[in-house]
Amino acid sequence: MNNYKLIKLGKFDESVMNNKTTQNISVKIDGKTVNAPVGTTVLQATQKAGIYIPTLCYLENIKPYGGCRLCIVEIKNMRGYPTACTTPIAQDMEISTKTPELQKLRRDILELVLSEHPYTCLVCRDKNNCNEFMTTTRKVSVTTGCNFCTNNGNCELQELVEYLELTEIKYPWAYKEIKPEKNNPFYDIDYNLCILCGRCVRVCNEVRYSEVLNFVQRGNLVIVGTAFGESQKDAGCEFCGACIDVCPTGSLSEKMGKWVGIPDKSTETTCVFCSVACKMNINTKDNRIVNVGPNPDNRTNPLQLCVRGKFVPGDIMHHPERITTPMLKKENKWIEVSWDEAINFTVNKLEQYRGNQFGIIGSAHESLENNYVLQKFSRKLMKSNNVDILSSFPDKNIIKKIHDYYTHHKPANIDDITNADTIFVIGSQTNLSHPIIENRIRKAAKNGKKVIVANTHDTRTSYFAEQNILYKQGEEHIFLLSLLSVLNNKISGKLSNDLKQEFKNFDIEKAFKRCGVSRQDIEKIAKSLLNSKKSVIIAGDGILINPDSIYNFNALVNIQTILKKPETCKIIFLLNEGNFYGSTIAGLHSDFLPGFDELANKKNIKKWSDNWKTKLNNTKGLSGNEMVNNITEDGITALFVVGDIPAHPNLAKLKFLVQQNMFLTELSEHAHVFFPITGFTETNGHIINLERKLKEITPVTASAKDIKTVWETISNLARVMQEKGFDYKKPEDIFSEINSFIDLSFATEEKAKKEILPIRADVSDKKKKLPVEIIAENNYFNYLGNDLLKLIPDMEDILGEGGSGSSSGSGSGSGSSSGII
Amino acid sequence: MKDTIDAILKKHIPKEKGNLIPVLQSVQKKEGYISPESVKRISNYFRISRSSIYGIATFYSQFRFNPPGRHSIKICLGTACHVQGGDFILKALQAEIGISPGETTDDMRFDLDRVACLGCCALAPVVMIDNKIHSRMSVIKLKELLNKYE
Ligand code: SF4
Ligand code: SF4
Ligand code: SF4
Ligand code: SF4
Ligand code: FES
Ligand code: FES
Repeated sequence: MNNYKLIKLGKFDESVMNNKTTQNISVKIDGKTVNAPVGTTVLQATQKAGIYIPTLCYLENIKPYGGCRLCIVEIKNMRGYPTACTTPIAQDMEISTKTPELQKLRRDILELVLSEHPYTCLVCRDKNNCNEFMTTTRKVSVTTGCNFCTNNGNCELQELVEYLELTEIKYPWAYKEIKPEKNNPFYDIDYNLCILCGRCVRVCNEVRYSEVLNFVQRGNLVIVGTAFGESQKDAGCEFCGACIDVCPTGSLSEKMGKWVGIPDKSTETTCVFCSVACKMNINTKDNRIVNVGPNPDNRTNPLQLCVRGKFVPGDIMHHPERITTPMLKKENKWIEVSWDEAINFTVNKLEQYRGNQFGIIGSAHESLENNYVLQKFSRKLMKSNNVDILSSFPDKNIIKKIHDYYTHHKPANIDDITNADTIFVIGSQTNLSHPIIENRIRKAAKNGKKVIVANTHDTRTSYFAEQNILYKQGEEHIFLLSLLSVLNNKISGKLSNDLKQEFKNFDIEKAFKRCGVSRQDIEKIAKSLLNSKKSVIIAGDGILINPDSIYNFNALVNIQTILKKPETCKIIFLLNEGNFYGSTIAGLHSDFLPGFDELANKKNIKKWSDNWKTKLNNTKGLSGNEMVNNITEDGITALFVVGDIPAHPNLAKLKFLVQQNMFLTELSEHAHVFFPITGFTETNGHIINLERKLKEITPVTASAKDIKTVWETISNLARVMQEKGFDYKKPEDIFSEINSFIDLSFATEEKAKKEILPIRADVSDKKKKLPVEIIAENNYFNYLGNDLLKLIPDMEDILGEGGSGSSSGSGSGSGSSSGII
Repeated sequence: MKDTIDAILKKHIPKEKGNLIPVLQSVQKKEGYISPESVKRISNYFRISRSSIYGIATFYSQFRFNPPGRHSIKICLGTACHVQGGDFILKALQAEIGISPGETTDDMRFDLDRVACLGCCALAPVVMIDNKIHSRMSVIKLKELLNKYE
């Protein structure tokens, strides 16, 4: 007799399937021979062989649960019916997946599951007619209360019933009489439809680490819930929507698109809201976004997004207040006009404002292509180098520093976070600004990696930290210097000696006092960084949006440089908007032509004059801030703004203001022309994320016919102004132009440059004023500068009360960390 | 109350999550029930989410989450009582005192719980108040009965 050695499945290892080094074993599934690595489960092996086994509780990449028992199989010489999702394969196993016996058992199991679930929609004789005529509910008759169930077609029960050919259910249906919850932002909950598969609980705890959902109560009262039945928000829900994505029933459903019907298209694109640039999948029907959710073909492993990626696209693209036609301001009123009229009017005006009096402020949510055309328009046609993006960085050159850093240090990968053994997060509210980075930090912490969090206040990340440091607001730089100094004293060598010189007059005790962090704490961080084989430093707004940002940057890079093995340490700079880096490399920066070519360098002026067959103005460009502050008779007189910029009294003095945006905003009060603009789901192009990877945006829906992209608008203006070099037919034309001028393959000289960047080791230094006024209050919840909290009431619901999404000025503000702490 | 819980927590090592049940037991012993505030403290101490603690605690019948009232009503919903209209009694009771099982009235007069069979099925439907069994309940009897408890 063949005795299989069953390896007890411990922690589920996601790498197993991809691991090529482990030994392959062969099994027979329904007579077919399949080779798979040791540790593969029967379910994975069958899937590999293209054989279907019904499942309900299974989710890819998380520990199998074995709860629903639908995936039972027969294995020769093994007793009973093991569940495929929890049973690992063994050499020469013979597995049957579809014997009549099994199908009958599965039917019985499904019947039991359905005895507590409204099943009329599943077995009703009129089912097929219903599909056709009863479009308002997913399929359950109205009397059973299933008009709560969405009709978006995301129902795995229906698929299972069909597959198992279940036509009748012998049990009476027990309605659970649970009050559906409709007060949550973004999604509705009806646990009467819940089959307790536990997918939502596991995804919330084991994938998102938000730890909001759990099974509560016992016996037949068990439901999914939160502590004391409090609301999702009070329980610390982050509205990532992961639970909705994995729910096999209509128990959890997005409010948006709930009644729109079954999607007819599913498109993959890239989220531009933050610089993580997550891959996202958007389901649409009749050119409308139904939801951002799992691709119907891959429901058990949906892409992970955050609240912005999951819920904002549909709400914003189909917003009732969205402007869909060009408008001209006549007698203080907005009048809808044709594109031709708007363009002609604008051209006439622009002709009067060529040269240094003109400026463009774009958005880092826009694509590489759009921003490239925008700055080209300003420089080549309007003869002005006043181009910038709405930016929250007080020092506009920080992006150049980061760029230079990248030429010597390969940018970190998001996965580097989970692979590191020490993760040092400083000055960041990652859970709000870059939730998917936060997710990796949490994952690392859960896997026993050392997470050190430093900030002015406790954040949700602190909950996962092994060491949580609180430094005084405004003293970020002193804190970093203290760390650098303490670390440096533990190291010898030339670089470190040079650095010690710099610290000669640095009163370290005073520094500890000033930043409010004790020597022991700093020693501990230093030790962790020194002793780790791989470390990642994550620098957030508190460091970068800071009057000392450049020095903070230098201090951080120095920390990396002096480590014994700087190559094993990586720094992630958390740029906010999705295309921050990409917009700058596209040339939308007052000091840099495309490709970070310094404007101040004559050679570059010549180079780009040649590239664009023109003669460029060589006057220094103004940043967005400077433009706004310089609105005078003989300063800036005309602006072209993409999106929105914060209100400023000077704006009223503009002679000519063009705004291209999705919504009318405060700025529009001063605008003379308004062009509607496409959203990122309505166009194609590229962005460059914080890993410096080129990511593609693909059109998901077509915009209304009178809405145009930035490049189309600009091309139209240029055509009427009879300027050559703007006759693009499609974004691809722009991309190939960019590609012909700038190297977008981003080769990095692998060897880290060994030099100490200048520091300012001075504790006596008085608190400094912000060098420039910050143009954008740093609000993560904006799109093209438009405030999402104002536009989407549910967003206000979850973030309101002083806006934990915004933090201003020096260091991060007092943004509250909602949640479990 | 804060101090009581902190005193209990201090006796246990935060890393050892297995101590959760004994901690919950001590808290219940000291305070009479597990309050949201205690769950919050325990959650911070052990770094287990509040939902998980609540999930674990509700799994055991020994824990209660509402403060005990002056009188405890237990309504039987076992098979026999169910058949004899226990649900109906429960509904009447809920209407009368305005709370659902697992809750306490605002004036702390009653707390209400449901149980599955009190072992006197022959007398169904059955309600127990402060350990005293009241058999063959009816809605009218129930109203009279409640008046006796202050
Ligand atoms: S939406 Fe809330 S409950 Fe659902 S997985 Fe995310 S954090 Fe958990
Ligand atoms: S809510 Fe959905 S995912 Fe969660 S247990 Fe119920 S059926 Fe499963
Ligand atoms: S989840 Fe909705 S559609 Fe699916 S079986 Fe239940 S009631 Fe019907
Ligand atoms: S983490 Fe950033 S890129 Fe990802 S979904 Fe959220 S906002 Fe979009
Ligand atoms: S999928 Fe295997 S037990 Fe549910
Ligand atoms: S069922 Fe109520 S006492 Fe037994």
